[in-house]
Amino acid sequence: MGTTVSIELTPDRPDHELRALIADVCGWLHEVDARFSTYKPDSEVCRFRDGALTLADLSADMRHVLDACADLWRDTDGYFDAYATGPLDPSGYVKGWSVEVASARLLAAGSTSHYINAGGDIRMRGHHPDGGPWRVGIRHPWEPDKVSWVLALTDGAVATSGTYERGDHVHNPRTGKPAQGLRSVTVVGPDLSIADAYATAALAMGEAGITWLAKRAADGYDSAVITDDGRAFSSAGLPAAV
Amino acid sequence: MRRSTAAAVGTLTGAALIVGVRLSVEPPAAPVAAPPAVDLAGGTPTPKPKPTGSAAGSSAGNKSGKATASKSAAPKSGLKDGVYKGDGARNPYGTVQVSIRIEGGEITAAEATYPTTADSGTINPPAIAALKQETLGAKSAKDLNAVSGATYTSKSYAESLQAALDAAKA
Repeated sequence: MGTTVSIELTPDRPDHELRALIADVCGWLHEVDARFSTYKPDSEVCRFRDGALTLADLSADMRHVLDACADLWRDTDGYFDAYATGPLDPSGYVKGWSVEVASARLLAAGSTSHYINAGGDIRMRGHHPDGGPWRVGIRHPWEPDKVSWVLALTDGAVATSGTYERGDHVHNPRTGKPAQGLRSVTVVGPDLSIADAYATAALAMGEAGITWLAKRAADGYDSAVITDDGRAFSSAGLPAAV
Repeated sequence: MRRSTAAAVGTLTGAALIVGVRLSVEPPAAPVAAPPAVDLAGGTPTPKPKPTGSAAGSSAGNKSGKATASKSAAPKSGLKDGVYKGDGARNPYGTVQVSIRIEGGEITAAEATYPTTADSGTINPPAIAALKQETLGAKSAKDLNAVSGATYTSKSYAESLQAALDAAKA
């Protein structure tokens, strides 16, 4: 996936056990990469795209991913689109989902306090080693060494999409043109895959995404937005640190 | 009889004004309309008026908008039980129509339909469904455990605050 993943576990067991947990997470993420990468010709995604696999051949995980992408396409008025670039590319969902699963695996193994940060999209549980909530900064879109908000979270996900890293890489699927209007969109909520998809969809919408995001707050997804001209917006429930 | 109709229309007008629409009719004092309008603004669903009025109790077969008075003594307020709709009021953003329900001579529910198209959507919906604008902050990265941001490549990670945090912890 070409992404760096940072994992921090609150040390609640011997060091070698912590390392085993991290190894398990890394193994899972590499497995996801092998199965869902659009760059590996033998991945399940590529073989399904090529017609080598039919719907009936697909794994349960792959079916889940396809269903989730369809749901998100509907929920985002078509702005989250796994077919935006032509052939199926579910990466926008798979990344957040794989981290959700990884965090759930850690929890199942007894790690109640940890975070996983995959390329700026974070799933966390519990508390940091000093006992407080995890403090998550949202990168400032023009000043890489600054943050524009600091959030305090004990259980939840934070996903940020922005145009400041790769320029016009997010396209408005309705017009086919690069998304314009929003510089950075952060969504905070219970599920990282949904938060990530919402952030990407809102970025594609442009300024209309601000209104659209406001309605997501009722479902537990808060947001913080910075426009191209430097205006900042946030929802009332954004868990800003004091 | 005429008086009660006038009273009902008066409350409709009052409620319509609260959702921000100017009607040509001068509103009589209608304090009872205020609470439902506040509910609407807060996004709380108010009880949906039924298309045909039905007085509290038993009377069945009422005609739309013209509930027959129950046989018990007429309520002091002079309002007849039933559900009444105001004439739709047009304004530059669309049409607003207000309905009220009268039970036992008192208004028990009021509801307004208002335009929800893109333009008017920013004017009429509950204030809660909006992001608030604020000053864009630029805080230092001290005391952070993690950083959320749009990083797409390993190179951009290497240049990121998160990488610095990881290095500090390793």
